[in-house]
Amino acid sequence: MFLLALPDGPYVHKSISKMPTTTIPTNKAVLSALLRADFTTQWRNRKSVILILLIPVIILISWKGVVDKMGGAFVLSNCITIGLNAIGLMGYSNAIARDRDKGIFQRLRVAPLTAWSIMASRLTVQLAMIMLVSTCVFIAGHYVDKITLSPAGYALGFAMAFVGGAVYLALGQAIVGLIKNAETVNAVSRLVYFVFIMVGMFAEIGVLDKLGEAVKWSPYGTVKHILAAGMQPSAWSQHSSTALLVTIGYALLFAALGIKWFRWSSK
Amino acid sequence: MEHPSSTIVLQVEGLHVSYGAFKAVSNVSFDVRAGEIFGLLGPNGAGKTSTLSAVEGLLQPQAGTITVAGYNVKENPLHARANLGVQLQATNFQPELTVAEILQLYAGIHGVPLTKEKLKDILVNINLEDAAKKRFGQLSGGQQQRVSLIIAMIHNPQLVLLDEPTTGLDPQSRRQLWERMESMRNNNHGILLTTHSMEEAEAVCDRIAIIDHGRIIAIDTPQVLVDKHRNDPEVISVSRRGKITLEDVFIGLTGRAVRS
Repeated sequence: MFLLALPDGPYVHKSISKMPTTTIPTNKAVLSALLRADFTTQWRNRKSVILILLIPVIILISWKGVVDKMGGAFVLSNCITIGLNAIGLMGYSNAIARDRDKGIFQRLRVAPLTAWSIMASRLTVQLAMIMLVSTCVFIAGHYVDKITLSPAGYALGFAMAFVGGAVYLALGQAIVGLIKNAETVNAVSRLVYFVFIMVGMFAEIGVLDKLGEAVKWSPYGTVKHILAAGMQPSAWSQHSSTALLVTIGYALLFAALGIKWFRWSSK
Repeated sequence: MEHPSSTIVLQVEGLHVSYGAFKAVSNVSFDVRAGEIFGLLGPNGAGKTSTLSAVEGLLQPQAGTITVAGYNVKENPLHARANLGVQLQATNFQPELTVAEILQLYAGIHGVPLTKEKLKDILVNINLEDAAKKRFGQLSGGQQQRVSLIIAMIHNPQLVLLDEPTTGLDPQSRRQLWERMESMRNNNHGILLTTHSMEEAEAVCDRIAIIDHGRIIAIDTPQVLVDKHRNDPEVISVSRRGKITLEDVFIGLTGRAVRS
């Protein structure tokens, strides 16, 4: 006859009344378990991770000819912005929508852990992705396009990448909050990604005329600007400070909407 | 809060759950005791899932109190959930993770230390020693249910919720699962089971509540329910072979109409 195997030993026959007082696992233990699982999941999805890394790096290599004309910071900031878009809109939003659809969140939520720890673990993985994309672009920029920044430029570049990444993660969260169906989330996030990239890049090269000015204050434009300004700390301007504030505003707005609209179950 | 001395591991009192104007659960009260398998039966849309979701803390009831192992689900949600093991209907684990990784994840979030030896012991005892590195999606339905059940039990909870655990299983796997439930009952765990199988309810449940249109319409042991209702005209009219079964009582009480 089958007997249940429990962690305290192969067969547990002790009475419940002898069980110790209920203990709640520490946040550290919970986060450690969640992070391990979430990083493993990300590793097993490394094909999509490589795709997210490849797109900005390929663009960076193909833009080698415009580095002298437009400047290294311009090229690097565009490429990182494209990578951040992909992380937030393609990677994060789709992963959240899929896991919600499969009931993975509901399964976790019946365990003794807080909702914030589930999301904190997921976001930590995305922060690592932002770090990875930025590092790859900086390395490729250095070795392929011969773009070298000052140490402060690299440091601020990473800092701005995290701020910019927060905008797209929050936007991804808002899309998942607004749309319940995972396939629709996938379609909409790809569409938004495509529109952001195309409109942003056309605006950058000046073909959108008056609309181009508006695009500069869009989530694409402000993120791209603070990244470029961060990589050249000496060129940081009043416009850069305003762009940073607007970027933070976007992140807060999208996060507020994402949190307000988000439902843990798609049913 | 002190650990309760009562043997009641789940107490639901005056539960009301609504979705907008629709009342899914109305004034539902029952309890589950340690060492008992309690069946919650009802047609589709009767209020079973809403009741279970409220017990799990996944939805906020409009009224009523739920206590798990003496902990109020609303006031002490983490303590209540620490005493609760759940097997949900869907196979809701990350498909990228292996069986061993899923076990490590759930042991970790329950604060249960899980050494390699203990992990091996668990896998051996659920006959999945070769499946440690298999991904959950690669397992058969019966194997998935075994993993799902062991995860529900990984922290040795006082109350275990099993939501239609034998759906889709072959007779051998189903029998094996019944034996596991009985083993859990023998270990003094309280089990709340939902099922559409009257055979299952009769085979393993100590007590049964029949819920319909959000209300509990009968609650007792399977045999007492059959004895109490064997002369009801509605029950006799649905009887197929002259002998009154629990299924006859269920259909007699809830009606013949197919629910969506």
